[in-house]
Amino acid sequence: MGVVSILLEGLSRNRALGLILMGFALFPVLSGIMDEPFWNDLAMRIMLLGMAAMGLNLVLGYGGMVSFGHAAFVGIGAYCVGISQFYGFDNGWAHAVISLAVCGAMGLVIGFLSLRTTGIYFIMITLAFAQMLYFLFVSLETFGGDDGMSIDRADFMPIDLWDPLRLYYLIWAALVVVSLLLMVIVRSRFGVVLEAIRGNESRVEAMGLVPLRFKITGYVISAMICGLAGTLFASWQEYVSPDIMHWSRSGELMIIIILGGIGTLAGPLIGAVAFLLLEEWLPELMHLVAPAYAENWMIIFGPVLIAVVLFARGGLMGLINRVGAGGRP
Amino acid sequence: MSFILLLEQMFNGLQLGVTLFLIAAGLTLILGIMDFVFLAHGAQVMIGAYAAASLTALTGNFYLGILLAVPICFASGYLLEYLLIRHLYRRGHMDQVLATFGLILFFNELIRIGFGPAALFSSLPPSLSGFVNILPETPYPVFRLLVIAVGLACALGIHLLVSRTRMGAMVRAGANNETMTAALGVNIRVLRRFVFAAGACFAGVAGMMLGPLTAVEPGMGEPLLILSLVVIIIGGIGSVRGAFIAAILIGIVDTMGRVLLPVLLRSFMGQAAADGAGPALASMMVYILMSLVLVVRPTGLFPPKG
Repeated sequence: MGVVSILLEGLSRNRALGLILMGFALFPVLSGIMDEPFWNDLAMRIMLLGMAAMGLNLVLGYGGMVSFGHAAFVGIGAYCVGISQFYGFDNGWAHAVISLAVCGAMGLVIGFLSLRTTGIYFIMITLAFAQMLYFLFVSLETFGGDDGMSIDRADFMPIDLWDPLRLYYLIWAALVVVSLLLMVIVRSRFGVVLEAIRGNESRVEAMGLVPLRFKITGYVISAMICGLAGTLFASWQEYVSPDIMHWSRSGELMIIIILGGIGTLAGPLIGAVAFLLLEEWLPELMHLVAPAYAENWMIIFGPVLIAVVLFARGGLMGLINRVGAGGRP
Repeated sequence: MSFILLLEQMFNGLQLGVTLFLIAAGLTLILGIMDFVFLAHGAQVMIGAYAAASLTALTGNFYLGILLAVPICFASGYLLEYLLIRHLYRRGHMDQVLATFGLILFFNELIRIGFGPAALFSSLPPSLSGFVNILPETPYPVFRLLVIAVGLACALGIHLLVSRTRMGAMVRAGANNETMTAALGVNIRVLRRFVFAAGACFAGVAGMMLGPLTAVEPGMGEPLLILSLVVIIIGGIGSVRGAFIAAILIGIVDTMGRVLLPVLLRSFMGQAAADGAGPALASMMVYILMSLVLVVRPTGLFPPKG
């Protein structure tokens, strides 16, 4: 009962998160009525990127560890599927288990080595490990090298994924599980200590706890969540290349978190929705207003991000909370 | 592998190293003194390269183009600090990341609109496009030698500026303890703006020198930004001396790795596989070097005392 009551309490505390998850559950109905199957595709991408960003947010937002290399874990998760299939191993559940194990192990090693450093040095050493993995996969000609490898939609017995809608709900279910898991983690003793470490590491140490253990554990969990997102990403994209681990992808995950609201449960999801919708709609909007410059939508996108920093403190979640509080600070 | 080829590659590494130093010198001060995560420093490189390439085309004179491009770089850094950056100093690192990421997108797109998405190629004047013998029978491009010379001269200039002048003393004091420096009557706000503009200037010069060697295209700055961040971390944030040593180290390791690794790999795998894997593994070397340095010395090789 303990877990159930925590979940219920958590959902009532995180209405935004509950609403978004509900929205994603009902979304295929809308896209079905509007006869726009492409919308589901976009929604799946949003959920996958949101899931990865939620994983990163555990270390970045709650733990205060700015990791600039989490796209590597997404990539490893996807490559676990590709490489398993390369050796004739098709079971999707097994892929997920392999991804979780590999990403957990990688997270343990990278976290152990990186967490010796702090601040900007930590940002850069995590980037360094991600770059190593990126170039490693570029160099592995067996698995496609630079060009990547194509992947068959994994076989999640007994769920046959031939119908895209089933993949949609598989991704949705994974997102719900990750959300609930994070909800419990954040409210647990572990989560409280993790946040306390962000606030003041020496005080936590003075209380007789070992901050490094908590930080590494958090790092491993977040790596595994990103790995899971990568596993599903492979089935969604039916293709994986080193590009998925490029440093700008790690940057994208960070941008999504900051845009949505750092250190909140719903923030990364809201950020993913906003980021990908802007990416989708700005070109069309530009096409209407200034057709000649439709390809140059980033000239608007960049300043929008800057405006969010300057005028919407705490990201979109901060904005929502302020509006929700009736303009009261 | 002949000695002459190795020597040439050493020179190429040196040339990459001094170029990286010019980018890293300003950035290490921005990170160190202002504690500001400035991701758009690569855009300053691009602005420098485009300014020089287009002004060279406009005036028909390479030297005049460079001469006119330098003040443009200085002005762009100065204006950027004045318009946006100074409002962000008090924000957290994450806000700075998001805002300067937005700047990258903006500048890359601006250049794409202004000059088109294709790469610009700037040609060298005849006096610079020849070869000289660095050893008997060992020709080496004049322009690359010039880049090395200009880079070393700039490095010397930056060193003298930081360690011998009153301005440099203020910068160093600001790096150590900003509040105390301000209390002693140094105008920190103006100082920051100057450091920013000077940093943009040196990054721009790096872009101008890279222009004739590589393609001048939108987004050309970002790979360089990442490499110069590596340089800064290895050297120790805020240390100009550390940045110089690390830049030369990275330049030579990267260049030599690209030449030697495929040869090394060829000894135990097929030619095609080695040629495919070699360059990627060479790119890894730089990051392996950085993480080794950080695991042993978590604040870089030459962390500034303070």
